[in-house]
Amino acid sequence: MHTFKLLSAFFKVNVQMALAYRADTIVNILLNLMWLGWELLSLNIIFSNTTTLGGWGLGELIALLGVFRLVNTMMIALIWPNTEKFNQSIRDGSMDYTILQPVNTMFLVTFSRITVWRIWDLVLAIVLIVIGINMSGDIVTPLQILTFILLATSGMIVIYSLWIVLIALTFWFTKFDNNVTILHALLDAGRYPATVYPAWLQVIVTFIIPIAVATTIPLQALRGALSLNQVVLYFFIGIISFLVASRVWKVGLKQYSSASS
Amino acid sequence: MLKIFQRLWQVNWAEQWQYRANLIMYLLYWLVSPIIYLAVWTSIANAKGDVNGFTANDFTTYYMTLLIVDQITSNVVIHTFGYKIQDGSLSGELIRPIHPMLTNALVNNIAFKTLTIMGLIPAWIVLFFLFKPDFSHVALTGILLAIPAMIMGFFVGYLLSATITSLAFWTTRVYSIHEFYFALAVLFSGQFVPLTLMPRIVQEIAQYLPFQLLMYYPIQLILGKFSTDQIIQGYVMAGIWLVIAVVLFNRVWRNGVKRYSAVGA
Repeated sequence: MHTFKLLSAFFKVNVQMALAYRADTIVNILLNLMWLGWELLSLNIIFSNTTTLGGWGLGELIALLGVFRLVNTMMIALIWPNTEKFNQSIRDGSMDYTILQPVNTMFLVTFSRITVWRIWDLVLAIVLIVIGINMSGDIVTPLQILTFILLATSGMIVIYSLWIVLIALTFWFTKFDNNVTILHALLDAGRYPATVYPAWLQVIVTFIIPIAVATTIPLQALRGALSLNQVVLYFFIGIISFLVASRVWKVGLKQYSSASS
Repeated sequence: MLKIFQRLWQVNWAEQWQYRANLIMYLLYWLVSPIIYLAVWTSIANAKGDVNGFTANDFTTYYMTLLIVDQITSNVVIHTFGYKIQDGSLSGELIRPIHPMLTNALVNNIAFKTLTIMGLIPAWIVLFFLFKPDFSHVALTGILLAIPAMIMGFFVGYLLSATITSLAFWTTRVYSIHEFYFALAVLFSGQFVPLTLMPRIVQEIAQYLPFQLLMYYPIQLILGKFSTDQIIQGYVMAGIWLVIAVVLFNRVWRNGVKRYSAVGA
């Protein structure tokens, strides 16, 4: 309950910040629509030259674009703005105030900044997924929808956990403010099914910077292309990575010795 | 004048060298999207034999060449200069008797590129062994023809970006404008796919826009894909756009500086 109150307070503050820059918000929404147009056009160009890409059809790639946009929304609405704030607070020592709060520090670091207008993107993403699945003609059972939601959530948790580990490294290496670049750079690989990539790139996007776990895998679940064992496995990967990340975070926090001392 | 450039080079090179670890990370951004497109298109070409005459090797050589050409023709002036207008730190540079955008910022960009190219070379060699492109049809004449084209392309791109950056004298939303420009570049430059595979209408428009001068045109020159007519047409377009860019930049910059009243002054 306490957590929920805090979240809604963060949300209100961020809505107020966004309202102070209304014109910027509108420009950003227009730019976002423009990129969506480009993404759909690029899929159109690809599929005017072929009927399948890595075994997937146009409808499935539109659905994948929707899933990718779910992950991307998490990144833009939460991860990038909070990384900026976090790195700043390590540099100038204002992290002290965050630690002094009687609330879980990881929670504060994750949610204190929210790019509010991005939330409409979630609706757009779901629309894309629904349209895409409809176009592909795949028959989707309620069970498949359930596993999809489960694995999409756990995939996002995997990426979130990786982020926590990356920014926690800053506790050890204060100057490491490039901490999330690798995540940022590889994110775009989530736009296409991992099966298209050469083997070494598949290994990178599945195991090292596991973008595919949050994009390709949940969509495979939605198409019913995963076995029960795989579903269980990916679900547990989500839980385990979260536990590992919170552990790394705790150890890192002990390492922290303010900027000025 | 030469002495000034020499001095600016020393200062900017020393500055960029300080951030060499950051630059290596920037390289990652440059590498990822061409590699993704390369993978997507070669997988289609492999499945079908070819895409409108493009074989898998054609795509591989195209994107491998793109990695180098993009590195040479692109610029980062919006990121290194935009904030100076907004926070007023431009004032110090304006009182110097040299043009801030055409000397210091230009040299700064070239120093930045030199360093990223140094980082790109080993990465490119690794990718060469991973993708094994066959460059045997590339002739020396193509490369020699492409060098002036790339230099012209760089200056066209630099001056257009500098013009957009100078809009910061009027508006605080210069990054949004730049994002729009960037989107046009993605569509018309041949960065996503060789332009001949784009819809007819896009190709028609792209011919007359400056964006292809930064990627598609020099790449295809290097790969020897153009007829003499196309080569001449490209150079004519590059010349025209260079003139347009110079005039446009001069106008916007002059008017902008007149409007400029530094923050806090």
